[in-house]
Amino acid sequence: MSNIALVIEDNFDLANIFAEATKAAGFDTEIIQDGLIAQSRLKESHPSLVVLDMHLPHVDGSVLLSQIRSDASLKDITVIIATADALMGDMYREQADLVLVKPISFTQLRDLTSRLNLKK
Amino acid sequence: MKAVGEFLDRILTIQARDPDDARRRRLLNVLMLGMFVSGLVGALVVIGDAFTLKSLGGAGSQLLLPTAAVIMVGIAILYYINRHSGRWAAFLFLLLLTAAFSFSDTPDQLANGRSLFVYTFPIVISSLILFPSASFIFAAIGSGIIIWLANSASIVPNVPAIIGFFMLALVSWLSARGLEQALKDQRTVNANLDRLVAERTQALAESLTRERIEAGRSEAILNSIADGVIVFDNNRRAILANPALVNLMDIPFGGITGKRLDELLNNEQITINGQERFQALLENPGPIGESLRLEWGKKTLSVNAAQVFDTAGENIGTVAVFRDFTREAEVERMKSTFVAVVSHELRTPLNAILGYAEMLKEAVFGSINEKQSLATDRIMSNTQHLLGIVSELLDQAQIEAGKLKIRVEPFKPAELLENVHGVMDKITADKNLKLNSRIDPELPESLLGDSHRLQQVLINLVNNSVKFTTDGEIQIYLFRNNQTHWGMEVRDTGAGIPEEEIPYIFDTFRQVDSTTTRQHGGIGLGLAIVKQLVDLMQGKISVKSRQGNGSSFTIIFPFDAEETVHE
Repeated sequence: MSNIALVIEDNFDLANIFAEATKAAGFDTEIIQDGLIAQSRLKESHPSLVVLDMHLPHVDGSVLLSQIRSDASLKDITVIIATADALMGDMYREQADLVLVKPISFTQLRDLTSRLNLKK
Repeated sequence: MKAVGEFLDRILTIQARDPDDARRRRLLNVLMLGMFVSGLVGALVVIGDAFTLKSLGGAGSQLLLPTAAVIMVGIAILYYINRHSGRWAAFLFLLLLTAAFSFSDTPDQLANGRSLFVYTFPIVISSLILFPSASFIFAAIGSGIIIWLANSASIVPNVPAIIGFFMLALVSWLSARGLEQALKDQRTVNANLDRLVAERTQALAESLTRERIEAGRSEAILNSIADGVIVFDNNRRAILANPALVNLMDIPFGGITGKRLDELLNNEQITINGQERFQALLENPGPIGESLRLEWGKKTLSVNAAQVFDTAGENIGTVAVFRDFTREAEVERMKSTFVAVVSHELRTPLNAILGYAEMLKEAVFGSINEKQSLATDRIMSNTQHLLGIVSELLDQAQIEAGKLKIRVEPFKPAELLENVHGVMDKITADKNLKLNSRIDPELPESLLGDSHRLQQVLINLVNNSVKFTTDGEIQIYLFRNNQTHWGMEVRDTGAGIPEEEIPYIFDTFRQVDSTTTRQHGGIGLGLAIVKQLVDLMQGKISVKSRQGNGSSFTIIFPFDAEETVHE
C-alpha cells in the first residue's frame, strides 16, 4: 500500500489542518479542494487514505464515496468522512471507515491516522 | 254540497260546555229540522194543489195549511229556545208533540187502537234528548193520557199497553244510559289521546326548535372559524364545507358540496403525491392530532382527519380540517436553514482556529516558548468553550424544530465508553480529575439504540460533572437494570445539587444559581438537552444528590428501543 493521503476539503484552513495532521502521522498528503479534480486525482495517485468532506464544489462527497466503494482499484482506500452534520455522517457510516463530526481536532486526526499508518 | 253541509252543521250544532247537553240539543235540532221540512213540504203540496185545481180541496186539506204553519212557527220558537236555554226546549217539544199526537186520531183509537203506538215515540226520544230516565216520565204521561182517553171514551184502559210503555221506558233508559256511558268513555279516551298527542307535538316542536338553534349555532361556528372544514360521506362525496375552506383552496363556493373527492383533488394546485397522501389520510385518519402537511398551490396546509359517528355509533363519513400552515412552514424552513447555516458557518472557522492553535501547540511550525504555549492553551480552551455553546444551541434548536431523529442500531457498550473517553479524558485530566468507567458483566455485548445520541448524553453529563467537581473522580457505569431495561449512571464527587433545585436542573438556560454560571461557564443547556434526548429515546432520567456530597444521574432505557422522529 502507498503512503499517500488525499485531503478532499474545500475549506482552505480545514484542508490545511487535516493535511498537517496526516503529514504528522507519516502520510504523504495532497490537498484537493474541488470534487471534480478529486475524481481524477483519486485514480492517478492511488492513495491509501482519504479524508473526505461531504460538501464539495462540482462533485459532492457522497458521489466520490460511492465511486470509491464501487471501483475495484479504489475500494481498499481507508475513507474518513469529515462532516459538520452528524446526521449526514450517520447516513454514510456504513460506507466509510470512520466518520468524524466537525469540529475535528488536529491531534485527534493525527493520532487516528498515525494508528492507521502503523497498521500498514 | 259541501256548503249545504256546512250550513246545516252550523244551524244544527249548539255550543255547550257539557258535551252530552250539546249532543242532545243537536239531536233535538235534527228532529225539529225534519219536522220543519215535512211541514214545509206539506204546505207546498197543499199550495201546489190549490194552484193546479184552482181551488182548495176538501176540509182536510183546508186544515192542513194552518197546521203546517203552526208546526213551523212552533218549531222556530222551540229552535230559538233550544239555542239559548237548553233542556226546556226538549221538554216542551216532547210535551207539545205528545199533545199533538193526542189530537191526531179519535180517542178510542188513541187509547186502545191503531194510534196507541204514537206515545212510544216520546218515550224513546226523551231518553235520548232529555236524559235517560226521562223515558219513564213520558211513559207515565203517555199512560196517563190513554187512561184519561179510555175513561172519556168509556172503555177499559189498555193495561198491557201501559205495561209495554214502561217496559219500553226501561229499555230506552238502559240503552240511552249505556250509550251515554260509552260516549263518556270514548270522550275520556279521546281526551287522553288528545293530551298525549299535544304532549308529543310539544316535545317534537321543542326538539325541532332546539335542533334548529343548535344547527344554526354549529353553522355559525363553522362559518366563522378560520380553519377549512369539509365532510365527506362514505362514498367520498363532499356533504359539507365552510367558507374558510373555499378561501384556503381557491375553489368557487358552491363548487364543493356534492362533488366527489377525486373531482376535488383533480386540481393542478395539488401534486399527485399530495393527492395520494390526502386520500390515504381519509382512508385511515389515525389517532387524533396526527396531521398531514400538504402543499396546495402556493400554500402549505396542515390537515387533520377524523371519522364522523352519529349518535347511534354508526360511521357516517370523514371530516377533514385544513389549517393554513404557510407562515409556520416558512418559519420552520427559515429556522432549519438557519440551523444548517450556523452549524456549518460557525463551526468551520472555529474548527480552523482550534486546529491552528493545536498545531502551534504541537510545534508543527517549530517550537514555541512557554508563554506562547500558555497563550495557545487559552485560545484552545476558549474556542472549545465557544464550540460547546454553538453545539448546545444547535442541538436545542434542532430538538425544538423537530429535526432531531433517533436512529436505532445495534451498538457495543464498550465502544460507546471508548468514544466518551476519547472526548472527555483530556478534559477531565486537564482538571486533575479521574474519569473511570465500567460495564456490568450482565449487560449484553450489543445493545439497540442511537449510539451517537447516547454518547452525547454521557458527554454532557460528564461535562456537567467536570464543571462542578474540583477533585476526586467521575464514574460512568453501564448496567442491566432488569429483564427489559438497561441503564447508564454518571456519578461524581462534586459540589452536589441543593435539594430544592433538583426539580429545575433540566430546565433550559438554567444553572443552580447565577454565580455558578460565571464560575463554571456554559449557558445552561447541557442538562436540558440530556433530558430531551433521553425523552426522545424513551428513557427515564433521575438524579440523586446531596449538597457537598456529589451527584449521580441514572438513566434507564428499554432494551427494545424504537426509532422516533421528533415532530
